[in-house]
Amino acid sequence: MSSENITQAEIDAIFPKVAAMMADALGCDVEKIKPNASLINDLGAESIDFLDIVFRLERGFKVKIPRGKIVEEARGNLSESEFESGGVLSGAGAARLKVFLSEVPADRFKIPLKSADIPRLFTTETFCKLVIRQQRAAARPA
Amino acid sequence: MDGHFRAFSFVDRITRPGLSVRGLYQVPPSIAEFPISLAAEACGQLAAWTAMATLDFKLRPVAGIAPVIELPGSIRPGQTLELEAEIESLDADAVAYSGIAKVAGTLVLRLQHCVGPMVPLEDYDDPSAVKQRFELLCGAGATPGAFPGVPPLALDYTGGEPGKSLRAILRVPAAADFFADHFPRRPVFPGTLFMHKVLELAARVTDDILTPARHTAWVARSVNDSKIRAFMPPGESLEFEARLAKQDAGSLTIHVGARKETKVTGHSKIIFHAEERA
Repeated sequence: MSSENITQAEIDAIFPKVAAMMADALGCDVEKIKPNASLINDLGAESIDFLDIVFRLERGFKVKIPRGKIVEEARGNLSESEFESGGVLSGAGAARLKVFLSEVPADRFKIPLKSADIPRLFTTETFCKLVIRQQRAAARPA
Repeated sequence: MDGHFRAFSFVDRITRPGLSVRGLYQVPPSIAEFPISLAAEACGQLAAWTAMATLDFKLRPVAGIAPVIELPGSIRPGQTLELEAEIESLDADAVAYSGIAKVAGTLVLRLQHCVGPMVPLEDYDDPSAVKQRFELLCGAGATPGAFPGVPPLALDYTGGEPGKSLRAILRVPAAADFFADHFPRRPVFPGTLFMHKVLELAARVTDDILTPARHTAWVARSVNDSKIRAFMPPGESLEFEARLAKQDAGSLTIHVGARKETKVTGHSKIIFHAEERA
């Protein structure tokens, strides 16, 4: 399911719950959790916070979020070598990522973009979309 | 290696291996005290044994995230902890688990949805020795009584506002018995000893806060949203700060954080209830 199919209404419906979980994980006031806030640059999240957030979302929304799911889904149909080479995203990879992370303001994509810096782009809305995708996946017939 | 599996090991026997793991630990009768935080360590170690065995002793979890630790009871030297851990998820990134500790069937501690990030076991310990120990624990069990007790870990109080906040320095010892066990190849100050000092500092803040009724005292009943953000090596100095965050008629919430220079190393929220003095 591509991110383009996720509606703003779907995001708005789960945002308050996602924001509350993020505030608990990051130890900050929920008012600081804005939809387009960068978790790392704006909210000071570290790798252990991402782990914390993912587990809280799994419990709170009763979904399973495989680790590394965002980057894996961002790659879409591109192979790993088409997506990135030597730790740097290819042109096709960066273009694909911009579409996938459509919620991230364009000026935050610094080209060339290192794969390791992809999490710096993640916003609260990125995680809302992740939850929605997993909810849809769970609802799909096996 | 004298202290390996002795100086900071809190599972004597695994009575039921697997994802619903059960174990036992006898608190040595000779030690002066057994802080409740070490019951959390025992539950965490039980879950860690399952995690390491499942991952073929290539990875091990370390202290990370504890959303809720309930503290309904206390433990005295000589008592036996009945330990249970339920593994909620387990992969190469982390183990998630909940657990309880009981004494004679009575609940003394409950962990909810803890997460231990994985690190390469061989960086921290000898994998073959760890595997042998697991086999021993699953078989005849280890000889109880090896834990020598909690070493002196004094907080140096540096300031604050009575009843509202308190600051202190903890100097992690450069050498201590527990480092031989936690961990032999990379000594790290245990997260549960960190929690022990967090509880101590928070309790000191409550000393200056009146309880709502006579003959009552503030008792720590829950540690929430705990996170260890950085390894604490031997010899490191940590600046602790405890702050009263919320107070109502019968309970208090105290936030405690620790940092080394600008880096936050860990934090927790401690919930106290006013209860009749025992």
